[in-house]
Amino acid sequence: MSKGVILMAAAFALTFSQVQAQTEAVVDSLSQDNADFTFTESQLDEDNDAAQTVSNVQGNDPYLSEVGYAFSAMRFRVRALDNQYNQTYINGLQIFDTESGRFNYSSVGGLNDATRNKEGIGFGQVANYGISDVGGAQSINMRASQIAAGSKLSVSACNRNYVGRVMFTHATGYNKNGWAFAGSAGYRGAPMGWGNVPGTFYNSFSYFLAAQKRLNSQNELSLVTYGAPTERAQQGASTEEVYALANSHYYNPNWGYQGGKKRSARVVNSFDPTAIFTWDWKSLDGTKKVTTNAGFHYSMYASSALGWSGDAYDPRPDYYKNLPSSIFDVYDPTKNNAQYLEENPHILDQWNYLYSYWTSDEAHRQINWDRMYYVNRQNGGEALYYMENRHNDQMTTALSSTFNHSVDTHNKYALGVQLNTTKGMHYKTMNDLLGAQYYTDIDKFASNDYGASSPEAQNDLLHPNRRIQVGDTFGYNYNIFVHKARVWGQYEHNNGPWYAAVSGHLDGTIMEREGLMQNGRYVDYSYGKSGAAKFLSGGAKVTVAWSPNPNHRIQLTNTRDSRAPEARNSFVAPRVQNNYVNNLKVEQIMSTELSYKFVFGKFSGKVGGYHAYFKNGVEQTAFYNDQQSTFTYLTMSGVDRRHYGVEAAFNLQVTSSLSFHLLGTYGEAKYISNPYAQLNPEGSEAKEIAKLNTYQVTHTQADNSELVVKDDLCVVADGMRVGGTPLTAVTLGVKYNVSGWFFQLNANYYDRVYLAFSPYQRLNKTYATAGKVHFPVNGNQYDVTKAEVEREGGILYDNNGRIVASYAKEQEKFKGGFMLDASIGKYIRMRHGKSLSINLSLQNITNNTKMKTGGYEQNRDDFYYTESGGQYTKGEGKAYSFSHNPKYYYAFPFNFFLNIGFKF
Amino acid sequence: MRKIYYFLAMLTGTMALTGCMDNTEEPNTDDFVITSPTSIGETNTTIYQVKKEFSSYMTNNNTDVKVERDLIFEGVVVANDDGGNLYQTLILRDINPKATGDAHDQCIQVGIRNSWLSPYFKRGQRVKINLNGLWVGNYSKVPKIGQPYYTSAGNRRLGPMLFDMCATNIELVGAPNPDAPELTPIDCTQGEGLSWLKDSKNQNPMNAPRLVTVKGKIAEVQGSKVKYADTGELSGEKEPLPKVFAPEALYDAGYAVDRTLLVSGASSLSMTIRTSTQNDISFLPIPDDERSYTGVMTYYSGWQMQLRHKDDIYPAIK
Repeated sequence: MSKGVILMAAAFALTFSQVQAQTEAVVDSLSQDNADFTFTESQLDEDNDAAQTVSNVQGNDPYLSEVGYAFSAMRFRVRALDNQYNQTYINGLQIFDTESGRFNYSSVGGLNDATRNKEGIGFGQVANYGISDVGGAQSINMRASQIAAGSKLSVSACNRNYVGRVMFTHATGYNKNGWAFAGSAGYRGAPMGWGNVPGTFYNSFSYFLAAQKRLNSQNELSLVTYGAPTERAQQGASTEEVYALANSHYYNPNWGYQGGKKRSARVVNSFDPTAIFTWDWKSLDGTKKVTTNAGFHYSMYASSALGWSGDAYDPRPDYYKNLPSSIFDVYDPTKNNAQYLEENPHILDQWNYLYSYWTSDEAHRQINWDRMYYVNRQNGGEALYYMENRHNDQMTTALSSTFNHSVDTHNKYALGVQLNTTKGMHYKTMNDLLGAQYYTDIDKFASNDYGASSPEAQNDLLHPNRRIQVGDTFGYNYNIFVHKARVWGQYEHNNGPWYAAVSGHLDGTIMEREGLMQNGRYVDYSYGKSGAAKFLSGGAKVTVAWSPNPNHRIQLTNTRDSRAPEARNSFVAPRVQNNYVNNLKVEQIMSTELSYKFVFGKFSGKVGGYHAYFKNGVEQTAFYNDQQSTFTYLTMSGVDRRHYGVEAAFNLQVTSSLSFHLLGTYGEAKYISNPYAQLNPEGSEAKEIAKLNTYQVTHTQADNSELVVKDDLCVVADGMRVGGTPLTAVTLGVKYNVSGWFFQLNANYYDRVYLAFSPYQRLNKTYATAGKVHFPVNGNQYDVTKAEVEREGGILYDNNGRIVASYAKEQEKFKGGFMLDASIGKYIRMRHGKSLSINLSLQNITNNTKMKTGGYEQNRDDFYYTESGGQYTKGEGKAYSFSHNPKYYYAFPFNFFLNIGFKF
Repeated sequence: MRKIYYFLAMLTGTMALTGCMDNTEEPNTDDFVITSPTSIGETNTTIYQVKKEFSSYMTNNNTDVKVERDLIFEGVVVANDDGGNLYQTLILRDINPKATGDAHDQCIQVGIRNSWLSPYFKRGQRVKINLNGLWVGNYSKVPKIGQPYYTSAGNRRLGPMLFDMCATNIELVGAPNPDAPELTPIDCTQGEGLSWLKDSKNQNPMNAPRLVTVKGKIAEVQGSKVKYADTGELSGEKEPLPKVFAPEALYDAGYAVDRTLLVSGASSLSMTIRTSTQNDISFLPIPDDERSYTGVMTYYSGWQMQLRHKDDIYPAIK
């Protein structure tokens, strides 16, 4: 359902009556009750390391105010931007995860009423609390006086991540002594198996308490504290084959039966208690305002996962060796044909056996907990299987002060300072030994390579071979310190039809890692401080607008910005060593936006275009590398991207009760460079890592001389798209209201969603080993066609060893599709100021279960590698084709949200 | 004031609801098996008879055949993967072992597709196997039960059976007996056993695999060789010194390293000690003195042995 109030209010302001505006406010209220705040379900269910949906709450932008919610089912991200490019302020204080640059939406999950007062700005707009990034910004005012006085009880039922919600909010407004108090408490929950995805549960309490004191006509103090302790089970992505075997796109490999009861292996426990103290001062004439904030935030985040050691068999049910397609390469037409299978009946036998096994019983395709307990109990006390908690805790202290001065009706300016210091604490603890008595803290991969009794196998040489019990820290333990400071200023001038704003900021960032364990592979640079990395960045923004009359406005914004790399991408293997990524630089951002906003009678809207160029970004992925048989980090630096496109929103107000709206975007978000790459396996020591990070190709030329090409490791990423969000999204909707009833119907179309690409599959080194590096074989001819290299990827060299062209392996684009959403609401005024609101929203009414929202390629090759004299060459194809088996997420099937709210 | 009470009541109520959901009791695994929970049928053959019936598939290198009738035999697990040196492999020995050299005292290799079999098939565990639907043959002249597959080099080989077939084709008989007589290796360190080992008539695949103990010194650490580091053909790297049984640098196409045991009491007889990389035995320093070695002996072009566990070397390596 679309909230629509801001878009409609913009059009109505000139056309319709006060009564109509009030009606829309009611619609807005109903809508927001249904939305989980303005943050979408997908945001609330994101992992910390996932790119979160950008859902701006834009005050006056008819496009941005709608898309975040309208397209939430597809995890839409505005302009395909990560949440780190969008800022969120609470009472004027930006309090966020400084390691990832992201705001943690789940910290305010379930606090719909407490977070109702918000103001958003787009990239091209200015605010009195700070300078927005390229993704815009929003400010939520949670001061006690801003919560509507009175009480409100809401009860909801739905079939999403949770199935029930109850919220109670009470606010006093100012009393005669100048005090205002507000509080809100809520619960959202779903018992195991009740939510939309099998094997998940949801258990979240949320609270908000606020007090405000008006000291005098110039000074006010405010204190707010909030949090949402949440425990929830996660869904995992799977391959198309697995979804087919399970006969569902909502198959979840993360759970299984334990003693006959369902249990999830991936459970997130999070709690972000936050307290913000605010001092507001204003001059007697109201032209000068100072807002000063001090905030404290302690984030506790733990995500559970199965672990196993030694040669214990991978316990994941969808482990590729368990699948029918592990028997033979079903994507190879020379094998997947009647003759071949007739000649090799054992292959078909085994394929059929596994197919029957998978499809005959749900328990066969889920985690077998009992088996893990059994194995552990047979192992003499030492755990072969265990469940660990991966902790990413943070303690943040933030300070800010903002001075706003309206000089006169034409000129105003703002100055501000923001300080933030964060200690990120990263470690893992033993959650459950699954029937064993202890676990020995050594690295299983290094143990294989160097021997279990070798120093290299030790995760912590300060406590070698430590026996781990439930609750103990093991594996890794380190802190990341990030200190940020920003000074900023902006100036606005308007004169008749002209408006101009200039702003600038200067930022300093210091980061440092502190290892609390001495890792056996990195004895000299794992324990203690890494030394600080310091970055100076800043930017300037200019906005010019022309409004010949209130119905038309053309605006142009230009910015040149830079930002420090995120700390979480800045260390080559942060769990085990202190080394920084090579080539670490501030990211440069150049962005332009042009828009035209209009009202022609009953027809209003906005059209705009944007272009953003990102240079020298840093991205990091981590995965199990079967080539090195170890957990591996792959860091790309020097990442350049270009995001551009058009956005439009139109509204036709046919009558005071009936309106149609159309909004959509067509954008691009492309990588435009082949960034420098670094591979860092956790289980390998420096010599092996150095060998891994060399790229060398030897080509025997026609005269039998050898041409040796050496280069840096790089990822051939040029032309890849940002994945996991629709680059084309359109919605057409109608709204109708009569006699307190509200109806809305939206038809949404999505297209050009791309699979997140695997950098590993596109490493030049991977290409070289896989035979995707080509030299001229006959004059300027190559032994490969252009179509082949465009599909499979490759690098073409000339006879002098210079690169002629590089091709990134083709990226999968998902099929587009439609979804239909609707909502119906009723608002009932009652005596004594009481009211009752009822709203039912239906999403994906046609139950389109084929819409992929995202996914990722597996970081593995399709070929075995043979080594000779230390050089790897491509060997036989593996039976299981990883390149044909990416993992996908699908949009939720039909779902509803029923909310009943009672104000009294 | 009343509303504040409402609020506090709500707060308390919602907090009460937020109990931990992720609570599960530890399961009882006393009766847990991955094999058939019911009888798979009466025994109607022995390991010896199976090897005899399918002898051509046992001796012609890398051949196999599917069994399509109920052939059920019993055996005792005498080697598994508990030391990490055997992979996806059990060695079953005929029950009630006879005198040394008795043709009926036979073992056979059983391949099962799982990287850690020892919890389910402990040494001394008697098992019953129904060959119906499985394949018999040999892998590099080692008589074996399993299912065919194609190797990474594209060759068809008799590999492990699907793990889930344990539930239909294998039955555990009783509990593991660590003192089972079948666990006593054939003593080839002296006398009758050593003579049997030296006798060329016995050197054929039909006499493999066997659980034996031999005595001798490792050639690679004798004399000046002890200081000579070999270079791996594949890795291109020199092995570290002092020498260990299976350094990564010397791995071959089978991810293992061969060492030569000079058998004591038989001056012309040597035996290959083959050890896979990445297990507890791999990193053991090679002793230069005479030791006894117990393991699974097979025959290809000569005798070869795989130790089961580092305890199979006596006296133990410190």
